[in-house]
Amino acid sequence: MSNFSFIEDTSWQCAGCRQPLQPTKVNVSYLNSVFNVELMTCPQCGMVLVPETLAMGKMLEVEQLLEDK
Amino acid sequence: MMDQSQLKEIEARCIQEEQPFCTAACPIHVDVRAFMAALAKGDIRGARRLLDRAMPFPDIVGRVCDQPCYSFCKRGEIGDPLSTGRLERYCVVNSQTVLKLPRFPAKKGRVVIVGGGLSGMTAALDLARKGRNTTLMTGKACIGGTLLDFDEKLLPKKALLQAETILADYGVILQTATALPTQFIVSLASDYDAVYVDLDEIEPGRLPTAAGRPDPHTLALGPEGCFAGGGAFPDTAAFSVIKQVEDGRRAALSIERYLDKVSLTAQREMEGVRTTRMHTVTSGIAPVAEIVPADPDAGYSDDEARREAGRCIHCECLECVKQCVYLREFKEYPKTLLRKIYNNQAIVQGTRSANKMINSCSLCTQCTMICPHDFPVADICRTSRQEMVRDKHMPPSAHEFALEDMQFSLSDFCTLSRHQPGSSTSRYLFYPGCQLAGSAPETVKNTYAFLRQQLPDGVGLLLSCCGIPAHWAGQDGLFAKTMANFKIEHEKLGKPTVITACSSCLALFKEFAGEIETISLWEVLDGLQLPTDRAAARKPEQPLTIHDPCTARHQQVMRSCVRNICTRLGLDIVEHDYNGELTDCCGYGGLMQVANPPLGKKAARVKAERSEHAGLAYCAMCRDNLAASGSPVAHLLDYIFPGQKDGDPLLRNNPGFSGRHENRARLKEEMLAELWGEAAGPGPDHARIQLIISREVAELLDSRHILDDDIRKVIFHAKQTGKHLINPHNNHHLASYKPVRVTYWVEYEPAAQGNVIHNAYSHRMQLPEELS
Ligand code: SF4
Ligand code: SF4
Ligand code: SF4
Ligand SMILES: [Zn+2]
Repeated sequence: MSNFSFIEDTSWQCAGCRQPLQPTKVNVSYLNSVFNVELMTCPQCGMVLVPETLAMGKMLEVEQLLEDK
Repeated sequence: MMDQSQLKEIEARCIQEEQPFCTAACPIHVDVRAFMAALAKGDIRGARRLLDRAMPFPDIVGRVCDQPCYSFCKRGEIGDPLSTGRLERYCVVNSQTVLKLPRFPAKKGRVVIVGGGLSGMTAALDLARKGRNTTLMTGKACIGGTLLDFDEKLLPKKALLQAETILADYGVILQTATALPTQFIVSLASDYDAVYVDLDEIEPGRLPTAAGRPDPHTLALGPEGCFAGGGAFPDTAAFSVIKQVEDGRRAALSIERYLDKVSLTAQREMEGVRTTRMHTVTSGIAPVAEIVPADPDAGYSDDEARREAGRCIHCECLECVKQCVYLREFKEYPKTLLRKIYNNQAIVQGTRSANKMINSCSLCTQCTMICPHDFPVADICRTSRQEMVRDKHMPPSAHEFALEDMQFSLSDFCTLSRHQPGSSTSRYLFYPGCQLAGSAPETVKNTYAFLRQQLPDGVGLLLSCCGIPAHWAGQDGLFAKTMANFKIEHEKLGKPTVITACSSCLALFKEFAGEIETISLWEVLDGLQLPTDRAAARKPEQPLTIHDPCTARHQQVMRSCVRNICTRLGLDIVEHDYNGELTDCCGYGGLMQVANPPLGKKAARVKAERSEHAGLAYCAMCRDNLAASGSPVAHLLDYIFPGQKDGDPLLRNNPGFSGRHENRARLKEEMLAELWGEAAGPGPDHARIQLIISREVAELLDSRHILDDDIRKVIFHAKQTGKHLINPHNNHHLASYKPVRVTYWVEYEPAAQGNVIHNAYSHRMQLPEELS
């Protein structure tokens, strides 16, 4: 999952800042493992978008892998 | 964790790997079952390979074996046994050697075989293959002994000549036409390291009297290094081909041991004809008459052979696997399952690939009931879960959803403990259980009203959860705490007799709170005058099949009370075969449906499909799960206490996780207000968020284990903080929130009547803003 990028054009905007989202490197973690991934976030407040395909796909896969370690 | 010896002991209880009856009865353990399977497919080479592996000289033995296995064939129980001998003959007549067993590097020891019968030939072949220097002496011009007298059509002489070539190939020194007077035989004992005398050629009378009779297990004679076997049976004088092979093989093994200076006698039970513990059920298998070759002299045609081999029922056990959807799903039988669990526990670093399997068993014990040796799969899986929890290896996602649901049922939002209104003591305590409260809150109210009216001296009420999810999840601490709290509450109420509506609660209380008097609601109802008039109004037109819950497996009294009640209500009941002690789990047991949702669904379907009739359950989870699988199914209480506004009980929807969750909280609130005139404490703030959820989205949420309550929390949080995303094209909002460990994302659209929910999903990975 590290060095993975989930950059995609998206219609979602930050409601608070009224900003289009931009690719940003962020750290996500689970069960003592940290991954540096590229996600769409609000450039102003940092709010992160986790799209459904990521949550129910790659993220789930990695979560389950880590849970069985 | 169990040690190796416990593992072995439990493993041995599963006899699936025992030999089938034919192989056990075969002195050289030909894999007859696989042989039949190959021939049934027309794979003659595959069948030949199996003979080459087990038989010395398949071209001889395959033609003339006297098939002692025949009378042991399991098919004999339901008609004609398999004609194994004839099929072996068909196989060798129609094939050439496929597998030539290797010859091992030379080892010490010179062995002489005296006599060229089939036992001597076998001993010579086996020893030569093992790398022993072997000489075979015979007084005859050719090897074969009694086989030389066989009819040419049965056993062509060229098969014996071919055997000579085979022996020579393996390095056996053949000395034919050698005079073998007794004195000479005696002298061989000092010239060689070991001697085997084939009694088919050398009559026992020609052995020196001092030699004595060969020991039946080792074939050893009196003098050291001397062995003898083969020939006719001393008592009947009958000659058995396969007995020659058995003796030759046994003698070769003895000689090997003798040359290696190890015990001649230790651990030889596996040789020769054996008993087997295999368990194969033949009921339900149609008898099929033996296929007799149209031309007996020519033997089987290809088609006849295929059909005869096709009669083999492939003897094995798998009785538990045939019924259990879980074992089938993971393609294991208990012995292999146990092995995998054991290995999983032993992993220090690396992937514990059996976790999911361990957490998927419904712990229903159906397999243990079916197994001839009571194999305890459920105990093994539950113990393993306890160990995983203890060692912090339990995957958090496996049971968390169920455990949080349980905590909610145990929270102030759902629990209620009271004496009967207007009373300060309770002789009885109605305990509906969290699942009935969640599935049919109206029925809980009606049942409680009826019990108050019918039973003397006060019927208290306890809305709570017995803690079985924690027990199933291997969460000992949590479970013990729940049970202790139950006991405290029960004591506070003056130790009333607990009336449980749920068979799981009852089973659990009996096991872990034995000092508390408990009785099933069904037993109580069976002793009371039932309001039959109301039931009659809703009586279904068609007969219903009863589905016993898996936790009623050992509760015979309860099961028979349920049937009495049905009769008294005039319900037309049909039984199916997998009820009572053999009943299936609906998928809820052991938290199967939480840890492995697709398997839980399959389990529900299997249970529903045991009968073609509409179902009648008396466990709320069975009712809801079978309903969710698409079967018409009612709960027995629906016919005793039909609700005012309910439609056909057979078609009542599965409320789903969310529905059950909210029903419980509402039930407490309403009962508290209606019966005790008290208002429940204020609900959480997020409870005011209104949701509009279509049926499809509701099903999606249910399958993703996302509760309406979680969704309210997300939207409430977004409103509070103003933090969410927005899609300017359609004004959809997307917000996330992590109440405990799971982050929920909700896509919604605020509208006048509430928030229309379009989608929701979740993850456990933590985002940067949650990291701190
Ligand atoms: S019933 Fe199942 S566990 Fe028992 S012996 Fe047969 S295969 Fe093994
Ligand atoms: S039915 Fe087949 S497997 Fe069973 S004993 Fe007979 S030959 Fe062997
Ligand atoms: S689900 Fe039931 S029958 Fe199947 S292995 Fe588990 S305890 Fe045995
Ligand atoms: Zn922002």
